[in-house]
Amino acid sequence: MKRNLAVLGVVALLVAALVWAGVQNLRARRLAAEKAKQAPELALVKEGAAPPTPSVSADSFVGDLDLRGKPAPAFTLTTLEGKKVSLSDYKGKPVLVNFWATWCAPCKLEMPWFEELRKKYAGQGFIILGISEDEDEPKEAIAKAANKLGVTYPILLTDHKADKAYGDFAILPMSFYVAGNGTIVEQSAGLGSKDDIETKIKKTIAATGAM
Amino acid sequence: MKRLLNLLVVPVFAAGLASAQMNGPVPKSFVNYAAEPASIAAKKPAVVELHFKVLDGYHMNSHTPKSELLIPTVLKLEPATGVKLGAIDYPVGHEYSFSFNPQEKLDVYTGDVTLKTHLTAAAAGTYTVKGVLSYQACDNAACYPPKKLPVEIEVTAK
Repeated sequence: MKRNLAVLGVVALLVAALVWAGVQNLRARRLAAEKAKQAPELALVKEGAAPPTPSVSADSFVGDLDLRGKPAPAFTLTTLEGKKVSLSDYKGKPVLVNFWATWCAPCKLEMPWFEELRKKYAGQGFIILGISEDEDEPKEAIAKAANKLGVTYPILLTDHKADKAYGDFAILPMSFYVAGNGTIVEQSAGLGSKDDIETKIKKTIAATGAM
Repeated sequence: MKRLLNLLVVPVFAAGLASAQMNGPVPKSFVNYAAEPASIAAKKPAVVELHFKVLDGYHMNSHTPKSELLIPTVLKLEPATGVKLGAIDYPVGHEYSFSFNPQEKLDVYTGDVTLKTHLTAAAAGTYTVKGVLSYQACDNAACYPPKKLPVEIEVTAK
């Protein structure tokens, strides 16, 4: 009888512990959900803050750099016309951030495609920001190259910080497709096909619309 | 169902294309320098060869690229006591076009590249001449930021 009582006691204690753990878990989940609701819509990394840590995955590229699924690092850069432009200015819109340089032939091949696709998807809020990685070229030479390519989207001048925030990549062209909530949906290194670029743009627009 | 399949398959396909563009990490340097000690006659103009090798699959602009926007290959040597530096001879580049843009002809170096530097040693002895090779490399689908490769020439004048 005594033994039975002891067993019952242990079982009761175990059940109580399980119930307590369940309640704590539920509370924690509710709290996390509440915090998520209160989080800002645009999950950009603040300027000057540590960039997202690239993860290594089976389909990662550019060495170990893969920022997909991570918040896009924020930046404020100056356009060729001297205007300040921030990524956060385009909160809620699908944005293609393209790093290029005047000395990069593959970059200059895809830029007219970008311009064409920008016009095609402008109705869905699609934005392109081109960031020139030229170091020694005067602004006039960069503007001349962009004009020659028929580019009308903003060309921003590098501050040598934005590229580092985006993984300090050592390859051009380099593009990041940012959804309206500030998450990097896709990225590409080197010249891709026009179809591939359009697929990534559509994915970014879809991801923005789904938010 | 088709929509669901598209949702699942398209991103995977796109990721596959992206990964196909770049296989493996980007090298830190695209050009290697093979340092070789040179022996010359003292007090006489001499020519010393510098041997570089562009990694397979890459090219760098020649010293005279065809566009003013392209970054040329340039060797800069530092003045060295006892050595009078002269001109540097660059090899002739060869024509190259990206497959995606065959109309644009570039002038590039690939494989083994030999530069010749003219110099004169003031007296017998061993000298070290230091310098930097500036270049900008690309492969068949991407380009890489300009690089500087340190160069050191050991010259023995007799």
